[in-house]
Amino acid sequence: MKNKRITIGILGIIILGIVLFALNLFVGSVMVPFEDIFKVLLHDNTDKTLSVIIFNYRLPQALTALLAGAALAVAGLLMQTLFRNPLADPSMLGISSGASLGVGIVILLTGAIYGAAVSSFGWWSTIGVSLAAFIGAVLVLFVMLAFSSRMKNMTTLIIIGLMIAYLAGSITDILKFFSLKEDIHAFVIWGMGSFSGVGTSKMPIFAISIIIGLISTFFLSKNLNILLLGEMYAENLGLNIKKNSVIIILVSGYLTAIVTAYCGPIAFVGLAMPHIARFLFKSSDHRLLIPATMLIGMDMALFCNLIARMPGFDGNLPINAVTAFIGAPVVISVIMKSKK
Amino acid sequence: MKILKTKSLSIGYDNKTVVSDINVMLNEGDIIALIGPNGAGKSTLFKTFSTHIKPLGGKIELFGKDLMSYSPKERAKLLGIVLTERPDDMFLKVFDVVAAGRYPYTGMFGKLNEKDEKEIKESLELVGVNNLIDRVFNTLSDGEKQKVMIAKAIAQNTPVIMLDEPTAFLDYPSKIELFSLLKKLAKEQKKAILFSSHDLELMLRYTDNLWIISKNQPFAAGQSSELLKSGTIQKYFGLKDADNEYLLKENL
Repeated sequence: MKNKRITIGILGIIILGIVLFALNLFVGSVMVPFEDIFKVLLHDNTDKTLSVIIFNYRLPQALTALLAGAALAVAGLLMQTLFRNPLADPSMLGISSGASLGVGIVILLTGAIYGAAVSSFGWWSTIGVSLAAFIGAVLVLFVMLAFSSRMKNMTTLIIIGLMIAYLAGSITDILKFFSLKEDIHAFVIWGMGSFSGVGTSKMPIFAISIIIGLISTFFLSKNLNILLLGEMYAENLGLNIKKNSVIIILVSGYLTAIVTAYCGPIAFVGLAMPHIARFLFKSSDHRLLIPATMLIGMDMALFCNLIARMPGFDGNLPINAVTAFIGAPVVISVIMKSKK
Repeated sequence: MKILKTKSLSIGYDNKTVVSDINVMLNEGDIIALIGPNGAGKSTLFKTFSTHIKPLGGKIELFGKDLMSYSPKERAKLLGIVLTERPDDMFLKVFDVVAAGRYPYTGMFGKLNEKDEKEIKESLELVGVNNLIDRVFNTLSDGEKQKVMIAKAIAQNTPVIMLDEPTAFLDYPSKIELFSLLKKLAKEQKKAILFSSHDLELMLRYTDNLWIISKNQPFAAGQSSELLKSGTIQKYFGLKDADNEYLLKENL
């Protein structure tokens, strides 16, 4: 009875994901007729433009959304269980802000030093930006690690995370002050979040990095379950609290860093998706919640990408504008429900 | 059989000693009440026994071996705790809470085998709440939660169980019920049980062995009747003559 409910739920989410994925392929400023999609996918067409639109733009974008959605959502789940705080997610630990600062330094300083916009450096600029985001995120991560291994109080850690986020943000603002106009523009665009930055060339490395992170979360499910009882009980049951916290922070930080580097800081996916998974399956078991949260994150990211790409918006609507519309009400309803 | 023994144990935080020179023993089938006013160090002693904090001096021996020399996993199979802290999660079920007691015995993904399932059900039966197995833990009453946490400790299958203030939020009948449950565990399962309380009268009525912890007095241990006769309890709790008469009249 209960297992049947779970199976139906998971199947429903997967089917919804497939539909959304398909829609992502043929909805956009150029509408691809339904029957043509299959022709293109089966390499059975003569229309070169359609093939380029689908293979070079829409397919990588949909795949990016899929992977980024899963990664951010599950990273949020790990943080929420670790901090036993329904509002915890990687952006609260300052990891996203660290990534933003890294990107800010590359985009904004190259202009100030070389007197030319970073975009004029071509291919090198994207590599540089990605690497900087990763370094920024990992640096903050290690600062947080140092704090987390020294203090067991999780509330303190979240406050430190928020302070680091403010600090990183103000450094970025100071950098903006000295930067070229076009650089600031590029930085602001990146900051809005987009799934179109990965493309075909960078897809293999992006996909492999994310999939490694996603798989590793499954090995954390037993420890996450035991953490739900509270730290003292978990410790008494044989869990090494410090080591476990470090591993959870590393895995969720790694996933956030990669997504932020390639797609910009995307809010609300990590915060809201775990709650949808919990309420849908009425469960706290991470062996179910981890895959369920990933799948719901995929659906959510595909849906947001679809909305942002709707013909009227010409692909210019920032992803963050869409995720907030779905995420914010979820967060509010969670708070209302848990206060009862 | 001797299970746990302390040798001139000092406890406290960051070199600030709370109680020192504790020399006590816990044997198979013992039920011992750790009693003392709030802030005297009951929780500190519990945290030291559960290795949440390190002893400041002296030694704790569990089955003849230094408590700190066990690995966390080994220790989890020897000493189970029930705290005043409760899991707080919207969907966590009673079954999940008790199943957590099997954590030291399960594999990498925590999959429960038939033996684990059996132990979980038996633990719930033993404390008399098997009807709650599918309920969400957060929706239970204080007394029910207490029983489920004890079932968790039973499922953990440890020779020692320590309970911090187990009667704190219970009404009087539930307190009596809890004592008979603990007695049953000690007698039938040969467990050594240590629990703390600040309710002196209740302890004198229902338990035979006391450890007394106090801010300005040395740690004391012994049979409650003897401690009463020798005047130790009266001195430690600053009882006046009227209280003393009452205790003797009630023949506690």
